[in-house]
Amino acid sequence: MRFTGRCWKFGDNIPTDRLVKSQYVFEPMSEIVKHVLEDLNPAFPAEVRPGDIVVAGRHFGQSSGRAIATKALQATGIGCVVADTFARTFYRNCFEIGLPALALDGVTDAVSDGDVLTVDIATGDFRNENTGATRTGAAADPFLLQMLDAGGLIKLAAARSDLFA
Amino acid sequence: MNTVEKILAAKSGKSTVEPGEIVIADVDRLIMHDLSGYLTAGVFDKQPGATVKYPDRVVMVFDHHFSPPTEQQAKVLQFNRDWAHKHGIHLFDCGSGNIHHVLVRRGLVEPGMIVVGSDSHTPVHGTAGALAVALGNDSHAGTVLPYGKAWFKVPETVRIELAGTPRPGTSPRDIALWLVGQIGEGELNYASIEFTGPYVKQLGFWDRWLFPLLCVDLGAKCTFAEAAETGDPARVLRFEVGDVVPQVACPPTVGNLKAVGEVAGKPFGWAELGGHGGGRLEDIRVAAAVLRGRKVHPSVRFNIVPSSREVFAEAAQEGLVLALHEAGATWFPPSTGSNQAINMGAMAPGEAMISTHSRNFPGRNGSPEAEMYLASAATVAASAVAGVLTAEVGA
Repeated sequence: MRFTGRCWKFGDNIPTDRLVKSQYVFEPMSEIVKHVLEDLNPAFPAEVRPGDIVVAGRHFGQSSGRAIATKALQATGIGCVVADTFARTFYRNCFEIGLPALALDGVTDAVSDGDVLTVDIATGDFRNENTGATRTGAAADPFLLQMLDAGGLIKLAAARSDLFA
Repeated sequence: MNTVEKILAAKSGKSTVEPGEIVIADVDRLIMHDLSGYLTAGVFDKQPGATVKYPDRVVMVFDHHFSPPTEQQAKVLQFNRDWAHKHGIHLFDCGSGNIHHVLVRRGLVEPGMIVVGSDSHTPVHGTAGALAVALGNDSHAGTVLPYGKAWFKVPETVRIELAGTPRPGTSPRDIALWLVGQIGEGELNYASIEFTGPYVKQLGFWDRWLFPLLCVDLGAKCTFAEAAETGDPARVLRFEVGDVVPQVACPPTVGNLKAVGEVAGKPFGWAELGGHGGGRLEDIRVAAAVLRGRKVHPSVRFNIVPSSREVFAEAAQEGLVLALHEAGATWFPPSTGSNQAINMGAMAPGEAMISTHSRNFPGRNGSPEAEMYLASAATVAASAVAGVLTAEVGA
């Protein structure tokens, strides 16, 4: 499960409140997506392109467990998200909604905005194509990979009635 | 086995489980508030023919709204109310109180239960001995509502032992905040934390509650504060609380802890007792004691938000409602108060609030240029009197 894309780099301890600000929670996703991370980088929602890769620092996605923050990030069209560490609810929600995520401590030291990155979620392999730097992160649990393959938890549950019924 | 392992094994029909293993377990309670309920119902309704398997296990509490301020928000509550009635789930409507306090006060949490909710502070129910975990909407809509189950990765257990006698003027909330600063946000990611030790054991329920509450931002999956010592934890962290001084969590995150003395003199236009961990009877009593014979500073608006209807009734019976009213504080309906400024608590650029809330991220309360500071009820009340940050009036 490999992705190659252009890097958007963000800092440490970014809460879900900065992915989806509370005044937009009840808006349609077409509106929410115009404001994702805008306080931290106003260019991001305007200029993010399908297949880009978001790289963040420590404890990315802390605060709310509501999946809307991951859904808003997914709605920008990014290929995957990489972080030094994730808040656990955010990491869980990424796989449940079908957004590939890689936990790779130290990744923010190895990238700059605009670098082209290659990320393999299944093996944890990471390469910065601009600098040639390689790293290895935490390969996703096989159960989470099943979820991504199915297109998210709800589709997995529907396809595999033996799991939850 | 540790507490979390015992519960996950029992609820997944296994004799033992190991940290790192993924299990699918029965859920005893799903709790949703007006925001998470709306989002979860929206996802659930997209599944053709889905039904709620155990409606009696599902609780919805309107706590971010005590009364909808816009037509759009009225429609959200109307949708939630209709959805709750259609599926036969428990609904606690506007004015009931904070979701987690309502759950406890109505006797809906028991030891050994698995409790799940989207609200990130759901792990507070570990105070009552439940395995309480924050999950996302898709788990709730896709597996908890239709099947009564959810997937869980078995976490490692970290035991935190607290010993010592606090200095006068240092409250349990100061010690819980201090711990977040000592350990660091996200540093116990995925862990099950067991709080124990002589200091924790002598605390009452609502003071123990503050440790799971504030330590959510250590990254914990779940926490227990029942002081029950169980199996062998992966790590033990020991702290002595005797030297801790009153603390304040400064923007931009809960982990940005400072001694109140380091930030003394910071002016506030707003002060509030409220939120997931605030507005307890304990907090209201402390505020009333601080304000006895004093007035709220003319430049401060001091909001008091009881955590439940029961707390408001108790405060009224103790004469605290009139005492705080006459001192210049303003009572708000039982709710989650200014959390996320859904119903109250928005601030203009440059404004600042000191509160007993559990989050202080910029942008949660109106302008990203407004500031939220988190402290104990005593510090909030003293600062409301002084108009500036202080742990003690006259200090």
